[in-house]
Amino acid sequence: MTQSVLTRPPARDDPPPTPSRGRRRRGQGVAYLFLSPWIVGAVLLTIGPMAASLYLSFTDYDLFDAPDWVGVDNYVTMFTGDERFWHAAWTTTKYVLFSVPLKLALALAVALLLNRPRRGVGLYRSAFYAPSLLGASVSVALAWRALFSTDGTVDSALAWLGIDTGGWVDQPQYALLTLVALAAWQFGAPMVIFLAGLKQVPRELYEAAAIDGAGPARRFFSVTLPMLSPVILFNLVLETINAFQAFTGAFVVSSGRGGPSDSTLLYPLYLYQRGFTDFRMGYASAMAWVLLVVVALLTALVFRSSKRWVFYAGEDR
Amino acid sequence: MGRVSRRSAAGLLVGLLTTTAALAGCGGGDPGDGPVTLRFVWWGNEDRAGVTKAAVDEFQRRNPDIRVETEYSGYDAYFQKLSTQVAGGAGPDLLQLDRATLGEYASRNVLAELDEYAGKSLKVDKIPANLLEGGKVDGKQYSVAAGATTQVLVFDPTHFEAAGAKVPTAPGEKWTWAEFADAMGKVGAAGTVAGTTDFGWAVDWFEVWLRQHDKQLYTPEGELGFTVEDLTEYWEMIGALRPGKGVSPAEVTTKMDGSVQNSGIVTKQAASEIGYDSTITGYFGAFGPNLKLAPLPSDVAESGMAALPPVSFAVARRSEHKEAAVKLLDFLLNDPEAGKLLGASRGVPPNQDIRAQVCAGSTAASKAVCDYEEAQKDKIGPAFGAWPTGSSAVKRDFQRTYDDVIFNRVGVAEAAARVVQDAEQSLGS
Repeated sequence: MTQSVLTRPPARDDPPPTPSRGRRRRGQGVAYLFLSPWIVGAVLLTIGPMAASLYLSFTDYDLFDAPDWVGVDNYVTMFTGDERFWHAAWTTTKYVLFSVPLKLALALAVALLLNRPRRGVGLYRSAFYAPSLLGASVSVALAWRALFSTDGTVDSALAWLGIDTGGWVDQPQYALLTLVALAAWQFGAPMVIFLAGLKQVPRELYEAAAIDGAGPARRFFSVTLPMLSPVILFNLVLETINAFQAFTGAFVVSSGRGGPSDSTLLYPLYLYQRGFTDFRMGYASAMAWVLLVVVALLTALVFRSSKRWVFYAGEDR
Repeated sequence: MGRVSRRSAAGLLVGLLTTTAALAGCGGGDPGDGPVTLRFVWWGNEDRAGVTKAAVDEFQRRNPDIRVETEYSGYDAYFQKLSTQVAGGAGPDLLQLDRATLGEYASRNVLAELDEYAGKSLKVDKIPANLLEGGKVDGKQYSVAAGATTQVLVFDPTHFEAAGAKVPTAPGEKWTWAEFADAMGKVGAAGTVAGTTDFGWAVDWFEVWLRQHDKQLYTPEGELGFTVEDLTEYWEMIGALRPGKGVSPAEVTTKMDGSVQNSGIVTKQAASEIGYDSTITGYFGAFGPNLKLAPLPSDVAESGMAALPPVSFAVARRSEHKEAAVKLLDFLLNDPEAGKLLGASRGVPPNQDIRAQVCAGSTAASKAVCDYEEAQKDKIGPAFGAWPTGSSAVKRDFQRTYDDVIFNRVGVAEAAARVVQDAEQSLGS
């Protein structure tokens, strides 16, 4: 809302200087004053650091001494001489491909369950949302490590059933799966959004479909999904961006190392290691910009594809 | 963007200025006047935290005008935090470093030179010269050893007795790598635990093996002192123990980070473990007193073991209270009361008077360390040289690559070649 005040083009029929104009100007000033906390925050905490990191990405910067300009060296090294960079990019790709669909499917399934009127549904909604509130915290990742480590809860339970897999977080072939599971478990935020979307689907559509003889499955695929597709798009974009930036789980579960055997070396974790343990902040900044560009491109791709599968009510189909 | 009236711009400016002023107010305060607050950080186990806290409390009691804030964490987390804080200009005043990081931090101008304090407010006359030498980079004193340590095999005798495996503990007694392998194999075959924690992950123990072969990890010029063949031979020697459970399995080994709580012996996955005797108090604290100490095996007269500063203390160059930080450092090193409290929590005390005092009337753990150092005294060589800049990256790459070896993701020779290649890059930069 405030934006429109700011960027409002002068109306075409604005009369030349009149007494009212001064008042409007003052009104704009007040708007800036009220915006100032946001402007200060955006410039100091977002735009400034971003500009700085763009500059740093063209330098050799070890955190302690002044940065040295090296041109595109960091980018060249990244693409041509750093196996771990490609490994981290591939690990993150796998992570995104597994965790995002799983999380969205879970979120949608639970939202459908919770959409039915029943007693205590408010309580269930809160209960299912709770993991997402906790999710960002380190403590859940710690609990995850305890659950899936060697002789941890899951290992012991499986051993009792006669299945001896060892600790999942300690083995390269399973470690990433535990991170995917951790992400999927935190389905609360997209679930709440799905739930809101489900509430918007007009009841008449279901009634009409039922009268036409559509069963529950048919109703889901022909009514619910199309009507929900804008919400699915929103959640897909949001969760994809989030998944590319996943850091906390991998950091905590692997104690910051990305192990075992680099199997949980997600891109942001490698970026962090480059910056803060190898003291190569210039390189880390370059990695951040590559990530930004890739995520932006992918998001654009998703939006383009959305024309084919997202249905807005009121459109003709 | 619309136009801004002069008045509203002024309003904005005033708003900004007050914010800035408020922020600046937080960092204000005149150093030198009134009570001084120091930040002192280290890594270590619970036991070290407990005794260090106690020593710091004693220091504060005697110096009411100096307040000391302490922080500690595990090794990896410690350096992650430290680098972030130092880069952000919020570094500590007194900090703990090890051989892999001293050179790095000194060469990046993070540390204050201590030469101007040595002999004055910082007494060093009771500290052996070879220990002091370990705190120098390019001839300048950047840190002072917080203790003396040497390599050790710590073991749980019950497993070895049950398996009928013999470990030499008497003074002067020694064993070969073949005898070592035999003992570990027996324990692994007999019981549920591995003979010893797989020690191939840490560059530190490889250094001992190299010494026994007349080589070194780093040359005095700061270059790599070993070849792909050396590392291949070493890792293959350890790999031969793995199938028979002579060494711990991969999913245990991958968790090793030098901390006591993750160690194979404390988590009951292995019957013994190679370590520095500066962590013995931690083992005793976490495992219990039923542990014994033995020397590392060697096939030659040279034991490969050396007297080393396990960790050292340094003062930050950017500290606003260097005098107070040096005062705390001096207290930790030279005060009898502090020495008594700290015991052998960072190896045997560097100050020879304190060392004698600690060893004479010490607790079980500190006594075990003193006894071991005494028993091995003829075999412990002079300190190895300081590790060059880039060595902390070498240390990390070494462990990471070893993970690939134990999970069978890459052959030993190829992994060794990768370590050498990565190391040459890290040391060159």
